[in-house]
Amino acid sequence: MSNSPQAAEAPIAEEETPSSLDESAVERISEGAPSWLSERRRHAWSVFEDTPFPSTRSEEWRYTDVSRVVNLADLRLVTDGGLAENGSRPAGLVAAMEEDLAASGHAVLVDGSVVHVDLDPALEEQGVILTSLRSAVHEHGDLLEELLATEVVPPEDGKLQALNAALWTDGVLLYVPRNVKLDLPVRVTRWVSHAGSAVFARTLIVAEPESQLSYVEELLSDDFDQRTFVSSAVEVIARDGAQIQFVSIQQLGRDVFCQSAQRTLAHRDAKLDTLNVSLGASVTRLDLNSRLLGPGAHSELLGLYFGDEDQHFDHNTSQDHVAPDTGSDLLYKGALDDRAQSAFRGMIRVHRDAQRTDAYQTNRNLLLSDECRANSLPNLEIQADDVRCSHGATVGQLDSEALFYLLSRGLSQDQAERLIVLGFLGDVLARLPLGGVVEKVTRAIERKLEHV
Amino acid sequence: MSDTSILTITDLRAKVADEDLEILTGVNLEIRPGEVHTIMGPNGSGKSTLAKVLAGHPEYEVTSGDVVFKGQPLLDLEPNERALAGMFLAFQYPTEIPGVSIANFLRTALQARLEDGEEVDLFDFQDELLDRMKLLDMDPSFAERPVNDGFSGGEKKRNEILQMAVLRPSLALMDETDSGLDIDALQIVANGVNTLREENPEMAILLITHYQRMLNYIQPDAVHVMVGGRIVLSGGPEVAIALEEQGYADWKEQEGDEEGKKEEGKEEKEQEEALTA
Ligand SMILES: Nc1ncnc2c1ncn2[C@@H]1O[C@H](COP(=O)(O)OP(=O)(O)O)[C@@H](O)[C@H]1O
Ligand SMILES: [Mg+2]
Repeated sequence: MSNSPQAAEAPIAEEETPSSLDESAVERISEGAPSWLSERRRHAWSVFEDTPFPSTRSEEWRYTDVSRVVNLADLRLVTDGGLAENGSRPAGLVAAMEEDLAASGHAVLVDGSVVHVDLDPALEEQGVILTSLRSAVHEHGDLLEELLATEVVPPEDGKLQALNAALWTDGVLLYVPRNVKLDLPVRVTRWVSHAGSAVFARTLIVAEPESQLSYVEELLSDDFDQRTFVSSAVEVIARDGAQIQFVSIQQLGRDVFCQSAQRTLAHRDAKLDTLNVSLGASVTRLDLNSRLLGPGAHSELLGLYFGDEDQHFDHNTSQDHVAPDTGSDLLYKGALDDRAQSAFRGMIRVHRDAQRTDAYQTNRNLLLSDECRANSLPNLEIQADDVRCSHGATVGQLDSEALFYLLSRGLSQDQAERLIVLGFLGDVLARLPLGGVVEKVTRAIERKLEHV
Repeated sequence: MSDTSILTITDLRAKVADEDLEILTGVNLEIRPGEVHTIMGPNGSGKSTLAKVLAGHPEYEVTSGDVVFKGQPLLDLEPNERALAGMFLAFQYPTEIPGVSIANFLRTALQARLEDGEEVDLFDFQDELLDRMKLLDMDPSFAERPVNDGFSGGEKKRNEILQMAVLRPSLALMDETDSGLDIDALQIVANGVNTLREENPEMAILLITHYQRMLNYIQPDAVHVMVGGRIVLSGGPEVAIALEEQGYADWKEQEGDEEGKKEEGKEEKEQEEALTA
């Protein structure tokens, strides 16, 4: 294990409750839970058991062979957050938290359990809720019963979604009441400390009509030497006229399989944008479905990835236009070096009634080595006739003329590559200019480029 | 070789790196500090190739000959080392660098000139950049635009000279900086170049051009005519004037070995006539 020494000394619930991922785990997690929740978990487990493992023969999993990426039998389920609230924290976690001072509130999760939450008291007064799902089960039971793991990311979505719905240990609830606007982002840091563990967390974000929020989460860990599974289910609801910006920056260590299932629901005139930055982990799988449910709804789907060594990214997105007069615009850009691989599969679905849809999708890849590979599969399914849709994908090498141009001005090869890569990826960040995100991601990319 | 020479090229031959195609067929040239040398010649005669070979473009391979730059063998240096040694190439066709602002690019280029541990002072840099943009009559907003991305032909050329003004080379290779500039822009650029020469009288320039008009603003010390990958005639400013009147036809015929080159020479002449008409 490559935890920092502090983490090892901390009062960790080490070996206290680790267990295998089976039905008994579902029962144990359900202890003391309200019956709706135990039933929901049991149902999810039965869906999990009835659903076959994703196969590379299926279109959606063509490029990622989950059965080879992770063996569930080898993993230990961690149900108790490793570090107590005032236990000493790993250096990487502390560094990330220190940068995030300007915020409406913070949440810190260790190994899938919330260990710290704070929220601006003025917002609390206005009815904003930022809390752990574990406490929300008791304090906001009705809300969770209505929304958690049912209509947004239900177990029926797939094998791994079902597993998460059965075994989630904790997560974050952010609820913003009608007309309340958060000026600063809510910042969430998620740290994983156990090699060989399986961590299941969920996020539920609800923005009531005309409210406004931004949410920035970071997933972090040290490098591991044993396959570790970090699973997330993210459910985001923007009611009429609400505005949400959701940002996830994934910088997990090596040997992690990071799997995230996200769905966003944008109701009438809502604006719901997401940015997924994938820099870490050995294997990353993102399923993102953006649903435009009410007229006037609009979503931007932004993504950025930069892989080196043997990193593997698999992004599976869909833009579902259910209501008329909706818009969506997807831009996923990635740079790959060494033997890194990426797959992008993007679907635009325009339902029969979704007239006057504007839907765009672009995936661009920059290859920095001869051995890296990028696959791009754009798709359209259009059932309405009055729509404007386009999709495009490119895979290109580093432009040797651009490189020479920069060298001819005295830049070193490294400086030149850094500028070209940052320039290539930068316009994704420019489209969602949230406080600190651009700088944070730019620095993370620079650090990665230095190792190249 | 004279001690005071800044650039000495001796019998330089170069070919396209991955083809058996020789382009420079024995170039000889000597430039002293502070001098302006002009190379003229028909399209396809190898002028840009000479400039790119000097800058170290990997597309070309030097097969024989020598280049000494400020007393050092140039050809062993990497392209960025040549730049750090004081060479600058204003490209005939500047490359677009999407997403990289001119300011960021130039700051990095200056940073590359500092010792490890030293940092470009951001305020000094801003002042310097604004000052240089003013010299070239450029709007300050230009600094935040991505390098050459969506620039007009004229803006690209001006951007080359802006970089030259910030990086202060001791030898500037200017490859057809004048083409694509209207007369007003040409004057601004030429004034900028002349200001740089006043600031640093040692700065030498190798000016590649088709037209005499640039030479009205930047007086050359020597004019060379390149045909078929080598210099076939050298002289004073009068050579440029004679060329403008007569074209390259005479030289083409003397060269007269390859059909293709003759054709190009003719096209060239037609182009020029069309332009002067
Ligand atoms: N990379 C290359 N591959 C093939 N031919 C080239 C290449 N570079 C230059 N040439 C050829 O070499 C000749 C000289 O080109 P260039 O130096 O651009 O001429 P000029 O600048 O004088 O117009 C031309 O015939 C051109 O087509
Ligand atoms: Mg040329």
